[in-house]
Amino acid sequence: MKKLFAVIMVALLVLTGCSKKEENTAVETKTEDAKVEITWWAYPTFATVDGVAGKYEESVIAKFNEKFPNITVKVEMLDFKTGPEKTITALQGGTGPDVLFDAPGRIVDYGTSGYLVNLTDFVKETGLASDSDPLIIKASSDKDGNVWMYPLSSAPFMMAVSKNALEEAGLLGTVDFTKWTTEEFIDLSKKMQEKGYKGVQIYALNQGGDQGTRAFISNLTGARIINDDLTAYTMDTPEAIKAFELVKQGMDEGWLEGSTSNNAGDAITAFVNPQNSTFWAVNLWSLNLQKQKTPDLEASGIEVIHATLPSPDGKANLEYLVNGFAIFDNKDEAKIAAAKEFVKFISDDPVVGKENVIATNAFPVRNSFGDLYPGNELMNFHKGLTANYGVYYNTVPGFANMRPFWFGSLQSLITGEKTPEEVAKYFTSEANKTLAE
Amino acid sequence: MNKIKKLSPQARETIVGYSFLAPAIFFFLTFVAIPIITGMATSMFNYTQKKFVFTGIENYIKLFNDEIFIKSLFNTTKLVVISVPIIVLFSLFAALVLYEKHPVVRAIFRGIFYLPVVTGSVAVVVVWKWIFDPYNGILNYLLLNLGVIEKEIQWLGTKEFALWAIIIILITTSVGQPIILYISALGNLDVSQVEAARIDGASEWQVFRHIKWPGIMPTTLYVVVITTINTFQCFSLIQLLTSGGPNYNTSTIMYLVYETAFKKYQFGYANAMGVILAVVIGLFSLVQFKIFSSKE
Repeated sequence: MKKLFAVIMVALLVLTGCSKKEENTAVETKTEDAKVEITWWAYPTFATVDGVAGKYEESVIAKFNEKFPNITVKVEMLDFKTGPEKTITALQGGTGPDVLFDAPGRIVDYGTSGYLVNLTDFVKETGLASDSDPLIIKASSDKDGNVWMYPLSSAPFMMAVSKNALEEAGLLGTVDFTKWTTEEFIDLSKKMQEKGYKGVQIYALNQGGDQGTRAFISNLTGARIINDDLTAYTMDTPEAIKAFELVKQGMDEGWLEGSTSNNAGDAITAFVNPQNSTFWAVNLWSLNLQKQKTPDLEASGIEVIHATLPSPDGKANLEYLVNGFAIFDNKDEAKIAAAKEFVKFISDDPVVGKENVIATNAFPVRNSFGDLYPGNELMNFHKGLTANYGVYYNTVPGFANMRPFWFGSLQSLITGEKTPEEVAKYFTSEANKTLAE
Repeated sequence: MNKIKKLSPQARETIVGYSFLAPAIFFFLTFVAIPIITGMATSMFNYTQKKFVFTGIENYIKLFNDEIFIKSLFNTTKLVVISVPIIVLFSLFAALVLYEKHPVVRAIFRGIFYLPVVTGSVAVVVVWKWIFDPYNGILNYLLLNLGVIEKEIQWLGTKEFALWAIIIILITTSVGQPIILYISALGNLDVSQVEAARIDGASEWQVFRHIKWPGIMPTTLYVVVITTINTFQCFSLIQLLTSGGPNYNTSTIMYLVYETAFKKYQFGYANAMGVILAVVIGLFSLVQFKIFSSKE
């Protein structure tokens, strides 16, 4: 039945023109002249050249072809909104790519679903396993230790504070944002509220940027979203309940802003909005966001201070992104071998590999690449934060199913439909069910 | 060739007829019939990225114990029960008023009411999102400055307001088509009957009740059925504005189907929801056909 359904899906895709002709021809191996063609699907993580998505990727392919002229790579850009659905539909119809540039959350899911080439041996053969932080290799693996993603770069998520707002309020320099505590955060929030600024948004419209609220809330009291061996969510502990109570108190008193009609993207837009300077901080920021939002920040004149998340001891447990490659098992050994060469070149080439890491505006997974941003104070601060990486849980079973329970629970907290304790217990109980699925 | 010539004229006519129908039948089978059958079949499976296991009616049993599904079904029904009568009555009222106006005025208003229909739903929704934005939206700005409210209201994020905000948008985007249809239907009425009734002393209400209303009944049936189906399938408004929130208070069945299939990857369960929605729409349409046909 599944095969019949797959055939029908393929027929539909072909008939509707959803799968371009080039894609289909691109996956045909031209064995007669030993040439191989592979397709590469990529999210726009690399820096754009001349503002054109895909131009940087084309330049990488050109460099690859100087060394490997027999391997033709066709790149197709995805976007973060529709890309996951497009990939799933293609995989169900058997028209997926050979290489995907994405993040562990989705990639490990594709791997455990049987679509990918297991890279456990590959990371050992290339020396990546011994030349990187084991935490990143673990983040690229499933719970049984199978490596599904070949990681390239990584960077932490943190907060952004408006320097202008602090200056206007006369509070600039009163807090060290590289190690601020929850107490300092609350104190500053209340002072900013008195000056007419709105509190940090607790956004809960949907799952967009939901890692921001999870990290922010749990760190307030030193709670942890999940245990270290990734077997149970732990947001019903006394610390976690206290964190939800603190958030509720903040929203009631007005030094935090609960928003069920905004997601992280909306909160960030509100923070950098040239017509709006009512928010003094936002709880989700990254180096990439800094780059993306530069035009807005220039228009609004807002200067951003990068801050770690507030926590009881000033040492927050941070979430982070990992960029990397997946190789699809399209039952063609020549393609798999070509895809491995391509991934190895992009990630490990002493020159191109480093360029690519820099193009992601993140830090290399390979320790031997060294410091790619010498003398850059901001990058040094972020590099320092990588020591505070928490356990990476985006790859646990049922992660996608857990997310609606998180923002749904926050909505209940914001609207008052559930008490903080009920929220903590409801979320943890439902999230643990998704782990078992 | 000779064999075809030997066929009777009736048989040849039949072959030609089916040949003309063939492209339509092909597209109907490919894009309607087969997906429906496949959807119904896979609703009996635990169908995820990792599994494809026959489970019989388990998905259906699970559905009726799923409080989120029940909430979404209730929201969808509420949306239909509230918005469909308003859309039909407003469209009828607007058409009756506009029909009497000068053709130029009529054309202008037809254009105004039809504008949201021809404008892409995403563009319309983005404008509404700006209007309802709690921090930068014009609605809160006006109400705050007029002193009507003291604090920003999260129109799309509060359970008391969110569904009503959706209903308002749904109505504004849905009245265009029925107004055009009603104006056309009114134009097709026999004017001599209306004039004769007026000469005989019938009031405007009597003219409408006994001449116009029966005359436009087929249009009303069409408008009611189509509006009901479209409202049951309300998806883009929800996805773009509220994502079903807060706490699933604006979630509709169609949105839940999307979330279940493309966010949770539970394809079989999502298909079961789709089947239930189809059954509910079928029942509603049947009742509407019965009611309006009998009146006709």
